[in-house]
Amino acid sequence: MTTVNLNVNGKDYSVEVDGSTRLLDLLRDSLGLTGTKEGCGEGECGACTVIMDGEIVDSCLVLAFQCEGKEIITIEGVQNGDILHPAQKAFIEKGAVQCGFCIPGMVLATKAIIDKNEEPTDDEIREGLSGNLCRCTGYNKMVEAVHRAVEINKEAK
Amino acid sequence: MKKRGIGYGCTFYGTGYGNGFPDVSVAEAELNSDGKINVYVGATECGQGSDTIMRQIAAESFGSSVEIINYYSTDTDIMKDSGTAAASRQTYNTGNALRLASEKLKDRVIEKAKDLLNLNTTVGLKIENGEVFLNSFKATKISLSEIASSLGDEKLREEATFVAHSTEMDEETGQGCPYWPYTFGAAAVEVEVDTETGKVDIIRAASAQDVGRAINPELVEGQMDGGFAMGYGYAVFEDLNLKNGKIVNNRFTNYLIPTAMDMPELEKIIIEDPESTGPYGAKGIGEPVMTYVAPAILNAIYDATGVRMTEIPVTPERLLKALKESETK
Repeated sequence: MTTVNLNVNGKDYSVEVDGSTRLLDLLRDSLGLTGTKEGCGEGECGACTVIMDGEIVDSCLVLAFQCEGKEIITIEGVQNGDILHPAQKAFIEKGAVQCGFCIPGMVLATKAIIDKNEEPTDDEIREGLSGNLCRCTGYNKMVEAVHRAVEINKEAK
Repeated sequence: MKKRGIGYGCTFYGTGYGNGFPDVSVAEAELNSDGKINVYVGATECGQGSDTIMRQIAAESFGSSVEIINYYSTDTDIMKDSGTAAASRQTYNTGNALRLASEKLKDRVIEKAKDLLNLNTTVGLKIENGEVFLNSFKATKISLSEIASSLGDEKLREEATFVAHSTEMDEETGQGCPYWPYTFGAAAVEVEVDTETGKVDIIRAASAQDVGRAINPELVEGQMDGGFAMGYGYAVFEDLNLKNGKIVNNRFTNYLIPTAMDMPELEKIIIEDPESTGPYGAKGIGEPVMTYVAPAILNAIYDATGVRMTEIPVTPERLLKALKESETK
């Protein structure tokens, strides 16, 4: 067992992990942050997407000990108190949520797109969402939602 | 070389279990002590939007907005069986049961209002926005919360059952009317086939679906996008690859489904032709919206290349092989 020190959603944690513990397990089992979902467990579906030091990662492919000193944002950390993140608002407004299982990952992927690109094109949005699989929506309303999130950001400025 | 072609596919699809199998939905509606309407429905929400549209159906019965509805679902301890969320049946079957239950409750609420307002008949009484009033003299009115608080310990709760019309098929001849109602839909697809790589891209696509009546058009569109993506995957990506009865492609690394980059923009055409037996004219479209997609894509591949693919998915390997065979013929 080793101790890993990391910051999750703005809060510092010191957690005992063993060598095979994945970031996904650390978040769900040790910290109780169950918004991050396990889908395939092999980095294909994106349900376990979190943001690590500004980059989206599949938390099933990151080992916990690799997170020493890292800043992690999970779906629980994207909203500001009671105020939803533009990506969350936009997904609701555009009806881009169906069963909901992929949605935490999709929202974080959306946050990563709009954080880096103020005017993403359709193609850039589709590429940005392509690491997250969804079986319900057919993605089109999600693409609309990302455009809407961009607008919400602009309106707020 | 890149070749383009256009294809169409269409479907008719029966709602519910069909073939004489008992297809029964039960729903309940109750006046809550604060004048809101409690609705108990055993319909499972698996992303298709039943929680939303059941609320809408119940609210419509009371001429009110959805805020008036306290919705309870998927708890066998406090509700009756509404049957499975399968066979595209919840909107039609359970929607019907809920509409019937709501209307029975509404009749009792109006009966109570008649007594409380000292009227000699319920004729002319209407419900709107949480109030029962006399349509010809709107000042004569009472709110649902006033009615609820006049009841004391009495509970106004009504249950209704809807049994779908379904007859067995003749096994010998295949004749009969196993489903009611049927729903109709069609897709049009333009593909671009790369004859060197065997890759099939969708350039343009449209999907048209008869929904009877769209209780929630946004949810209908969501189902149409989702159904198209599934049909697209079914046609060109998704290969279980059975070997000796075992699934070889049992992971997302080898069982490929469409991503946001594969999915084309989809023109969605909602066709409303109210179904006389449906709740406010509605029919379910969970499954039908995917059924016409693969045939449309395969027809478009045929239009583009002259090659009729008879096996799905049309993977690049399969398509290249078929193109080669057609050249040597």
